[in-house]
Amino acid sequence: MPRFALSIRSIPPVLLIALVGLPVLVAVWAGLTAGGGATWDHILQNRLVPYSLTTIWVLILAGLLMFAIAVPAAWVISLFDFPGRRVFSWALILPLAMPGYVMAYAWADLMGVAGPLQSSIRDATGWSARDYWFPNLFSVPGLAFVLASTLFPYVYITARAAFTMQSAATLEAARSLGTTGWGLFARVGLPVAIPAVLGGLSLALMEAAADYGAAEFLGIQTLGVGIVRSWNSFGEPNTAARLALALIFIAGSFFIIAKLFQGQRGTQQTSSRWLNPRRTELPPQSAWIATLSYTLILLICFFAPVARLLWLAIESRATAVELWPLVQSSVILGTMGTIGAFIAALVFTLSTKRNRELRFGARLVAAAGYAAPGVVLGLGALFILRETGQALTGWVAIGFLLWIYVSRFTSAGVEPLQATLERLPKNLDNAARSLGARGMNQFVRVDVPLLAPGALAAGLILFVEILKELPATLMLRPFGWDTLAVRAHAYATDERLAQATLPALLIVLAGLGPVLLLSWRLSRTERT
Amino acid sequence: MPDHQSLMADGVSRIFSGRAVVDQASLSLAPGEVTALIGPSGAGKSTLLRMFAGRERPDQGVMRAGDVVLSDPSRFVPVEKRRIGLVFQDFALFPHLTVLGNVMFGLQSVAKPERETRAQAWIDRLGLTHRRDAYPHHLSGGEQQRTAIARALAPEPVAILLDEPFSGLDPTMRDQVRQSALEAVRSANIPALLVTHDANAALVHADKIAVIGNGTIRQTGAPEEVYRAPNSLSVARALGPIHRVKTRLLPEAWQSALKTSADTLWYRPEAFQIGTGEACTVSRIQMAGPITEIALDLEDSAEILAASPAARFTQASAWKSL
Repeated sequence: MPRFALSIRSIPPVLLIALVGLPVLVAVWAGLTAGGGATWDHILQNRLVPYSLTTIWVLILAGLLMFAIAVPAAWVISLFDFPGRRVFSWALILPLAMPGYVMAYAWADLMGVAGPLQSSIRDATGWSARDYWFPNLFSVPGLAFVLASTLFPYVYITARAAFTMQSAATLEAARSLGTTGWGLFARVGLPVAIPAVLGGLSLALMEAAADYGAAEFLGIQTLGVGIVRSWNSFGEPNTAARLALALIFIAGSFFIIAKLFQGQRGTQQTSSRWLNPRRTELPPQSAWIATLSYTLILLICFFAPVARLLWLAIESRATAVELWPLVQSSVILGTMGTIGAFIAALVFTLSTKRNRELRFGARLVAAAGYAAPGVVLGLGALFILRETGQALTGWVAIGFLLWIYVSRFTSAGVEPLQATLERLPKNLDNAARSLGARGMNQFVRVDVPLLAPGALAAGLILFVEILKELPATLMLRPFGWDTLAVRAHAYATDERLAQATLPALLIVLAGLGPVLLLSWRLSRTERT
Repeated sequence: MPDHQSLMADGVSRIFSGRAVVDQASLSLAPGEVTALIGPSGAGKSTLLRMFAGRERPDQGVMRAGDVVLSDPSRFVPVEKRRIGLVFQDFALFPHLTVLGNVMFGLQSVAKPERETRAQAWIDRLGLTHRRDAYPHHLSGGEQQRTAIARALAPEPVAILLDEPFSGLDPTMRDQVRQSALEAVRSANIPALLVTHDANAALVHADKIAVIGNGTIRQTGAPEEVYRAPNSLSVARALGPIHRVKTRLLPEAWQSALKTSADTLWYRPEAFQIGTGEACTVSRIQMAGPITEIALDLEDSAEILAASPAARFTQASAWKSL
């Protein structure tokens, strides 16, 4: 068989690979070829270095914070019993439903001078606002806190999986050799789980690097913010392109690290006899500390911000009337984007089942799109528009926006489909063929029913991801197509937070769908 | 704690949702001896092992190491305080530590310089000297297994429990590995419990065999004794193939030689020898490696399934220069 046979059947996936990969490629190419000379000095000193340093600083702080919250929580919940353990076990995933920018709005209000926290300090002490120090959310640590509090579940999920599955027998062996308590964690649990934990952490940091909304709202000059400002405000496309290159590099390296560590998992098989380490009861004092800390984490990372937004919405009597056009455009764009990305994911998954080169190419561009922040893809689209002489209006703009959605989120659709496919027996395909099912016939009678559960999950995830998407939508939407995310961001940066609450809450509500699906799956794998 | 003490279970029971998985089981493991625990799956082997290990608490009965009570209705010593070595079917080596690191793991209470010397001694003893600095995923199955045994023995435990330790190994090397591994265990002079589903291996390698069925220990004794004189049908079945025949269908000469009044007899296939006695009709002959299975016709379409060394049928081909 020839190594690469370009048959008619491989044309759709090849075209799709080109389509999905183009925006990233254009952004990278623009970054590499952006003009040099005198401006380069200016870009380097005034833009690239400061923006990059700020970004890296935010990522380091956020990474440390996520590790500190998620890893001990995963350990204690995997191995010990205490009041509320079952609830915390899945509830700690809830913060994933909050986009970073929504978390930033809520906490900015909670921590503001007129907010409930500072007011109660003044009420209790009689001080005035100038008499005491209070942490400022509009700072690099503030942004790190906001990002960490929405993204730590990535680390929590992978650490949980590593602690419960991988080291069941190893932990038992360590105990039989006389190790207990935190010694088990430090000498066996953590070292064994560290590859998986680093994988989850890298993924979370990739998402953190892609943030635009929270940083822009908090006024922190990260690369994401810098790219949009360079294009819009300073009129420096070259700067934008260079910054995008740096951001791709940062986000891409985290993505690659995550993938490398993922490959290392599952090297150990575990005898069924010692599976699922039996949880031990925590002594009362530690149990209360555990219950209290996780209640606090949930409060800080989910319930308090949501409650505050609700309160603001009710207090300001925000009306749902002006929400309707936003919901409409969000749902229309979300649905169309979902359909596009889903079809791309389906074509990638099915047409590349047998062709390894195509599968590699498909996965590579899907991964590149996924790892590239929305700002970068948006920038890539703007460059393409400029080169082709198109104006960013009407259906052209919508077409480009949908293209970017497909490019960014196809990977999110491929994952659940691929996972479903991999669980099926390898010979199912051959069986179907030996019974005479081929082509469309096989697709309808075999592939569709088998992929249905994965397809449902993929559709839900895609829709919510697109609904939450901010930077690319902000950059490319035509006039009159504001989505919930865009309008929430506009209101919030305009210091009209009350008006931002309803769209923000709707986004969180939608985000709960995939999160609950995920937590249901996790609790199911724990039981079996 | 001196090492030469037995490990004992005295009338222990474990009840899962109303059913006694282990029911009043008593078993005494003598130091320096390998006791094989065999029985069909679901008989309670693993539950009894887990109770010895301290991973599960018996609902009744007493467990002791020498004079020390490990568990009784009022007290329970947890896994980490028992000083009982465990060897798992999948070895459960720490993937982040080398062979040396794994073996040193349980030596925390030993002074640092001595730690390595002691671990090294066990590594040498199990023939792992050249693999000392290798990580588990670079070891062969046999090497992983020996590392697991060295790791369990290094802290000088009061007993060692081996949970199907040989079933994950390549069959061609299993016998040799088993032999050398169990030698090391014996030399530690502590009680050793080997849980296995492989009755043949137990008969060959164990010093004592305990047969468990429906949660109770049915019989304990030397391999020879348990095999030759099983005290029940279930014990006999657990140790190898056994067949039934109606006494009246046997040739007259055999009936009178057996001097039995029982209706039904049970026999092992190797009980029959080919010689010059009674003539029988052979209905089938089947090669089965070192032995040959022979079916003998009786009346009423009954038959006897006998086994004989294959060499009797294939003398010429048993030797060959390769």
